[in-house]
Amino acid sequence: MEKGKISSLQMGMIMYLTIMSTAILTVPGITAKYAKQDLWLSPIWASLVGFMTLFIVMRLSKNYPQQSFFQICEHTAGLYIGKLVGFIYVCFLAYVTGQIIRSYADFILTVYLPQTPISVIVISMTVLAAFTVIGGLEVIGRVSQIFFPIFFFSIFIIIILLIPKLNLSYLLPIMEDGILPSLKGAIIPQIWFGEFFLIIFLFPFLSDQSKGRKWGMITIFMVLFTFVTANLIVLFILGQNIAGTLYPFLKATLFVNIGDFIENMDPLIIALWILGSFVKITVFYYVTALGIGQWLNLTDYKPIVWPLGILIVQLSFWSLPNLMVINHHDETVNPFLGLLMQTLIPLLLLGISSIKKKVKPVKI
Amino acid sequence: MKWGIFFCVLIIIGVIILYEWKTIKTYPKKDRITFFILLIIAGALSLFDLPNLPGPVTLLESIFQPFGNFMESL
Repeated sequence: MEKGKISSLQMGMIMYLTIMSTAILTVPGITAKYAKQDLWLSPIWASLVGFMTLFIVMRLSKNYPQQSFFQICEHTAGLYIGKLVGFIYVCFLAYVTGQIIRSYADFILTVYLPQTPISVIVISMTVLAAFTVIGGLEVIGRVSQIFFPIFFFSIFIIIILLIPKLNLSYLLPIMEDGILPSLKGAIIPQIWFGEFFLIIFLFPFLSDQSKGRKWGMITIFMVLFTFVTANLIVLFILGQNIAGTLYPFLKATLFVNIGDFIENMDPLIIALWILGSFVKITVFYYVTALGIGQWLNLTDYKPIVWPLGILIVQLSFWSLPNLMVINHHDETVNPFLGLLMQTLIPLLLLGISSIKKKVKPVKI
Repeated sequence: MKWGIFFCVLIIIGVIILYEWKTIKTYPKKDRITFFILLIIAGALSLFDLPNLPGPVTLLESIFQPFGNFMESL
């Protein structure tokens, strides 16, 4: 189905952009609502979910080498239940793709293009992503190889420019009400760390599979590092006002002012958001199309990319009339849905497969 | 029901079929059926006023309601 091969390093870059692109803008605000000034501790707890997911994914792909996730489902849970689980995963991936496109469009709409109809933003991004998906995994790998340095260094340039404005006293008191608020704040970032689950779809196409684990670990540490740094910077700039803001990192960027000359850095953030979201949408779109192909044992996923595009655009609007509903949904449903689909069900599959390995059928 | 959206989606579906016809002809039957089923679902969904129609989001919200209440109590 997919003939392209990517290296483990490219996989790491894909995963970094997939996770960091939306996380850096939206997550600090929601985390701060629960964790207050301890929000920089929350990603550290949340990364445990990431390590666990990576461990599960690596063990599954070691037990079933060169097999797709849907084949693993069928091997462990039986043909019919395996197909059913596969169907749930296909629906989940399509649904998540729709949600990501919607959150991308909402940001562009509120910050940059308030007069444009939302459907124009959604459809233009979907068409662009569809062309990349048809290009295949190698194209996605190369795209993220080009975008990764731009994304990574731009964020750190912004952080360096913000250094004169930092107020370190906002950090205190550390753990005022014990460890619990920071643990509550970790409920939201764990969705992003759980997205390392997508490695299971990319793993069979790695040219150097032995290095997959190493680069997966490095990516988790990089994501953790960026997460903690971004949260700390936002905290040092905005203090206790983070909880009320939708996009705290964008608001913090507005404070950049060096000698009245280097200022108004917010277009850079918008560019980074478009660039990162493009990779994220493409990866989820690709995984959905590939997933449908693998689930139904099709010969190729490419013909279904365009029909799937219409469905994804429709899913991004379905039952989501406005930003209020979306934010409520993000906070009440997605943390548990993400944990269940990305970590707990793969853990269950791993458990079944290891039991099956130990209990060998008795020959009569 | 908005006829404008429905006809736009119909035109897009027509363009997709025209564009993919040459390649899809050579694929096995299963691929062609999947292709057309996805297009039919897309066409059928465009008949409704989607933002205000109960859908997967409503289903998930009712499934995860206890957890949602837990999040709101934090």
